[in-house]
Amino acid sequence: MFATSEKYREFGREGATDWLKRIALSNEFGLFALIVVAVLVFSSLASGFLSNFNLYLLGRIIAVNTMIGFSMMVVLVTGGLNLAVGAIGVCVAMTCGWLIEDIGLPWYIAIALAIVVGAGLGAINGLLVVWSGLHSFIITLATMSIFFGGMIFLTRAESFREMPGVFTDFSRLKFFGSVSAMLIPTCIVAVLLGILYRLTRTGKEMLAAGAQPAAAEQSGLRVKKLFVLCHVLSGAVAGCAGLMLLARNGAAIPAMAGNLGQDWLLIAFLGPVLGGAVLLGGYVSVLGAFLGATLVSVLSNGLLLIQVGEFWVQACLGLMLLLAVVLDKVRRLFVEN
Amino acid sequence: MADLSFEVQAVSKYFPGVKALDSVSITLEPGKTHALLGENGAGKSTLIKIITGVYAPDEGALHVGRAPVRFASPRDAIMAGVAVVHQERNLIPRFSIAENIMLEHLSDQVLRPLNFAAINEAARPWIEKLGINADPSTPVMELSVAQMQMVEIAKALSLQSSVLLLDEPTAALTPHETVALFNVLRDVRDKGVCVLFVSHKLEEVQEICDSVTVLRDGQNACENLSMNGLTRQDLVRMMIGRTELIAGYRPRDIDRRENALELLDFSSSAGHHGINLAVASGEILGLYGLVGSGRSELAKAIIGLLPTDGGDIRRDGQRVTIASPAEAIHKERIGYVSEDRKHEGLILQHSVLDNAGITVWRRAVNRFGFLTQNSVRRLVEPYLKKLQVKTPSLRQTIGKLSGGNQQKVAFAKWMAANCDVLIIDEPTVGIDIKSKTDLHDLIRDLASSGTAIILITSDMPEMIQLADRIAVMTDFVVSGELGNDGDYSSMSKQIIDLIHIEETRLVGE
Repeated sequence: MFATSEKYREFGREGATDWLKRIALSNEFGLFALIVVAVLVFSSLASGFLSNFNLYLLGRIIAVNTMIGFSMMVVLVTGGLNLAVGAIGVCVAMTCGWLIEDIGLPWYIAIALAIVVGAGLGAINGLLVVWSGLHSFIITLATMSIFFGGMIFLTRAESFREMPGVFTDFSRLKFFGSVSAMLIPTCIVAVLLGILYRLTRTGKEMLAAGAQPAAAEQSGLRVKKLFVLCHVLSGAVAGCAGLMLLARNGAAIPAMAGNLGQDWLLIAFLGPVLGGAVLLGGYVSVLGAFLGATLVSVLSNGLLLIQVGEFWVQACLGLMLLLAVVLDKVRRLFVEN
Repeated sequence: MADLSFEVQAVSKYFPGVKALDSVSITLEPGKTHALLGENGAGKSTLIKIITGVYAPDEGALHVGRAPVRFASPRDAIMAGVAVVHQERNLIPRFSIAENIMLEHLSDQVLRPLNFAAINEAARPWIEKLGINADPSTPVMELSVAQMQMVEIAKALSLQSSVLLLDEPTAALTPHETVALFNVLRDVRDKGVCVLFVSHKLEEVQEICDSVTVLRDGQNACENLSMNGLTRQDLVRMMIGRTELIAGYRPRDIDRRENALELLDFSSSAGHHGINLAVASGEILGLYGLVGSGRSELAKAIIGLLPTDGGDIRRDGQRVTIASPAEAIHKERIGYVSEDRKHEGLILQHSVLDNAGITVWRRAVNRFGFLTQNSVRRLVEPYLKKLQVKTPSLRQTIGKLSGGNQQKVAFAKWMAANCDVLIIDEPTVGIDIKSKTDLHDLIRDLASSGTAIILITSDMPEMIQLADRIAVMTDFVVSGELGNDGDYSSMSKQIIDLIHIEETRLVGE
């Protein structure tokens, strides 16, 4: 009896070296190192890279890109995806603009209602996925067109430009001359998501259901409900990203995320996938998605500063997505052996 | 190709930090069936991978018919005449039986149009020989698990190899199909092929094998010993280094006045009809039946995974409806330990703690609404300790543990769930003897502490060792119920008779 209790003292309490090893092997550490390298390279190639103004611009890009990445990440948990994040983001921004300009609601109520609309559109995605049993790829491909088309029809493709000053004031606010205030909502959402997945029953259930739905269901989890919830969350977070773009532009513009909102798609996948999210579901890293989006933002900003053409930046980001997936495979093989 | 011996001479294989094989030898002779035995972790899988060209040995050599060979890939092994039937299925589900069997023969005809009639004809003798009982053009995905296994075996046999390696070939087969397979294996053996039979089922090894090699801790516990005169106990002693303790069935006191779970004239959409079963607290009800007889489906219909279609479920005498597993667990306290550990039992890519804790998350939430590692750990750790789960840490990805340890975690999860009724489906398939004995003790303990248990198993000794009563299921109907007197030969005969009577009745219809 004594022997067994001795043996099981090891359960879970790992030593300091194990802990360091785990960090060094982690995806997040690799991303952090890449970001440092990228910053060093760009700051030596382009004199303006570390200027206060560029750091402020970079902060704004990171804030929006990370939020867009989160909106995809919360659905990647289920092993599915949400191609409609861009369409939902624009719909939410347009709703907010309409509520303020045409209905005359105060901005804070308009923001809250608009995010509820985003969550509602996410719920439509989730319910359709669960009821039809089809892959979310098909469902969200369809709803992407439906949401965007519906929005264009209702707004007659007109922008809402009479936004209260609070939006642009917020987007221009900076601390220490270089840190954009736009990072605040992103950090809040990041912390909330971190708590969700690490410290709440709902978050842990989402991960379990996404990893192995059959096992999760037999263990008493309500898998369908959880999947719908993931899509609701995705809609709400995409809405937040849309509102941040609204603040940056000072107006709600139908074309602010490209046709059908597709400008967001590459960014939406890049952050979480670079960050180590498993595309089959069941594992995501909030910190990783943040670092992934940061790396992407640093690269695109830096490449533009050293005057590489916009189309090369796009090609570069595409290449990065492929590289990230390959690296992920290699890393997994390495860790397993 | 036949009539060549196959020798593994003093082979060693190192992995980072472990010596998986330490100078292991085995000789397969043409016209003999050779058994390879060993506990999980004894080095069996590594040796199989060396014979099939997946790994190259670090020391030692392989010889085919006295000539040394080197396998750089599984392809090389196949070319040298080594055919394998793996434990995992390697069939292409949408291809027909014939296409799957003849697959290796087709690969050198890339651009020539396939003659499907010819392929079907070529495959037909194998299909008949193995009693697959289906048209050659049937897609493999429409077959039963047992039939798929037979196709796998036909595919290996069709290569006309000099060595045929079968890794746990009977795991999915019914006794009837096993007999058919053994007839084919004897036939193959008599044609001068070296057959290597790897199995956990010692009864089968004793029945079919001529000689045996046992591995223990990466070394030969014996090498090429004749099966003649070896008893089951001899084999077990070589495998685990001591004698096996078989706890026989001992009748237990059960208060049968009230049933914990009762099915009355129960029907389901899966095809069950008129099922009457009852299990009392502290009782183990065995549910025996062949693969495909509807045992797992019955469990799934009870916990609300499959729709019911009439009749009553009574829980402690009260009529209940169960719409989902969540209701079964949290409202009615009924749990189902799945036979499909990899897909339904565990989440392989998650940690030991997350797997063991999934059923207690509801209870583990603290007063601030948070679910912390420590609160979950407190609820599940006693069970993991009790079951002596061997893991470096609770953070360990469960997919990396051995099958026996995985199954123990799956049990720990259900013990932590505090269910009053547990339906346990094939608890010991493919796990080592030590873990098996541990799990048997555990099932008895659970029953003694008042849990009502329905034990589904096709392992006859397991059933007779554990169950207080045995219900036999044939084709989604309960064909009879027996009290257990603990005598293996009379009980197994009665059970087989019940299945047989029902089969005759079905054929008669």
